[in-house]
Amino acid sequence: MGRYIIRRLLQAIPLMILLSIFLFTLIHLMPGGPEGVLFNPRLSAAGRAALRANFGLDDPPWLQYFKWVGRMLVGDFGTSFTTYQPVSGIIAARFPATLELFGFSLFLALIVAIALGMISAVRHATLTDYLVTTLSYFGLSMPIFLLGLLAQDIFGVQLHILPTSGTSTPGYVFDPFNAFLDHFLHLLLPMLVLSITFIAGWSRYMRSSMLDVIKQDYMRTARAKGVPFVRILIQHGLRNALIPLITVVAIDFGAVAGGAAVTEGVFAWPGMGLLFIESLDARDYPVLMAMLVLGAVFVIAFNLIADILYAVMDPRIRYS
Amino acid sequence: MDVPHRLNVTNVPEEEIEPFLDVTPELVQKRRSQGRIIFDRFIRHRAAIAGGIFLIVMFLFCFAGPLFWRIDPDLIPDNVITARFTPPDLAHPFGTDSVARDELARAIAGGKVSLLVALTSMAGAILLGIGIGSFAGFYGGILDNLLMRFTDVFLAVPLYLLLFVLSATFTDGSPASVVILIAIFGWTYAARLVRGEFLALRDREYVLAARTIGAKNLSLMFRHILPNAAGPIIVNATLLVGANVILESIMSFFGFGIKAPNPSWGNMVADGQGYFDRAPWLVFVPALLIFFTVLSFNLVGDGLRDALDPYMTER
Repeated sequence: MGRYIIRRLLQAIPLMILLSIFLFTLIHLMPGGPEGVLFNPRLSAAGRAALRANFGLDDPPWLQYFKWVGRMLVGDFGTSFTTYQPVSGIIAARFPATLELFGFSLFLALIVAIALGMISAVRHATLTDYLVTTLSYFGLSMPIFLLGLLAQDIFGVQLHILPTSGTSTPGYVFDPFNAFLDHFLHLLLPMLVLSITFIAGWSRYMRSSMLDVIKQDYMRTARAKGVPFVRILIQHGLRNALIPLITVVAIDFGAVAGGAAVTEGVFAWPGMGLLFIESLDARDYPVLMAMLVLGAVFVIAFNLIADILYAVMDPRIRYS
Repeated sequence: MDVPHRLNVTNVPEEEIEPFLDVTPELVQKRRSQGRIIFDRFIRHRAAIAGGIFLIVMFLFCFAGPLFWRIDPDLIPDNVITARFTPPDLAHPFGTDSVARDELARAIAGGKVSLLVALTSMAGAILLGIGIGSFAGFYGGILDNLLMRFTDVFLAVPLYLLLFVLSATFTDGSPASVVILIAIFGWTYAARLVRGEFLALRDREYVLAARTIGAKNLSLMFRHILPNAAGPIIVNATLLVGANVILESIMSFFGFGIKAPNPSWGNMVADGQGYFDRAPWLVFVPALLIFFTVLSFNLVGDGLRDALDPYMTER
């Protein structure tokens, strides 16, 4: 087991190195290079030379790369162009909001998807099954901004029961309980919208995985022995059907650093996704690059976690 | 019918013996071609048929539509102030937008762009995926390792983020640049798929047979293995078009893909978003078009998966 983990870790390291080279090349490929991105076009030659020395642009590319990686490993991601604050601080400030949104959405989506997948598989080819699969098709095909806009319109504008954007009502100072309630109400819509996209995909996965498991001989044996149906379903069926699903969930969770940019954009949820869009509009490249690097690191890390989880849950993988 | 003398029959009646079984040619099933088998399987899925019909209608709408609906999508009439935001009526079946352009004409034009972008980027991605995956799967070993590491790098970067950054920096809002961008990052799944198929198929007997009569590697890959791997590739291609429509629309929605004045369903939603309260049709028309188009591609893709897969494994 340990050997498997170490092997996967060793495979991940060259991947991260390749990735950092890829992203570094990207910065330098942008029109005008780093100079075009950083400098005022009307700078004098002397000013240009001074800035180049300041930013280390006179070093050969490989040296620039190593300095960049070295700084990143220490946690120095540079300074923002727009706010002149350290980028790591900016991102760290936005991370909790995204984590909250993502975490709750994933949790809700997991529960609903597992339930729907199981019901759909057990009631295979009945009306319930067709309803669930149809709904999951709809969920998969619906662009997120449409869902978000519809939700905002129905719940916010027409029914006036849920707020449509932000994390709290501006201008009010609540006592702790009402503040919590206010925050929760603001969280509800984006969380639901984000969950639906996950539920659509995961419930189909769960359904097909569960269908494969139900056909197995050990299920039939347990039933023949007289084990109650629900217990078979949960103890034998669910445990085995969850294995592929958990890896998919872990991989989807790796997108957390991407921050559900679309959902956050539609609901103005102040997380990393919205930060990304704002930085794009402002062409704030240090923030953008830092987020790309962080995003990639998260994806690789969670892919690793998914592989390890799979090996933990399915002993056949460990010894292959 | 005459009973041959060889048979040990002593009592041969003079009249004709009625045949016991009426073995007429109609009982023997007519041989269906491969394409016909797949087609028959596909037809059984009513949802896939509905999706297919909708797609045909959508393509006719976008590409033959301008022949029937003659209003120019870019035309801003003189009476802009009074004509803007008209609800759907007979003269403008989808209403007019914020500068009184006819929404139906814009929907047709936007659909043309969105569909062409999605299809072309799918073609590019599939070609790249086949190119890389076939070599990785066929040769295996170090080449496979290298190519898969290369693929992993592309897979590891968060797609939307990278596309947003690249389109903000490198593109000029034209459809061609968006196509290239989406294709550059869409090939990874196809490459993995093709590699898996080639790994599985390269040990088949027909490959060995072809090799023994002297077939070259390239010929083996593309004339023998690839046609047999075509099933999952076709399914993936269909689903990829749907995914590309959504991808392009999200990019355009945030202002990074296809920019004005080129219409696309995504940036039409973005334009209409600000006027949602007084002119909701400006959002619903393009958004629902996106939704139903993607839904149809997904349904057709799944129908194809069921139609092609059993055929593939039914040796």
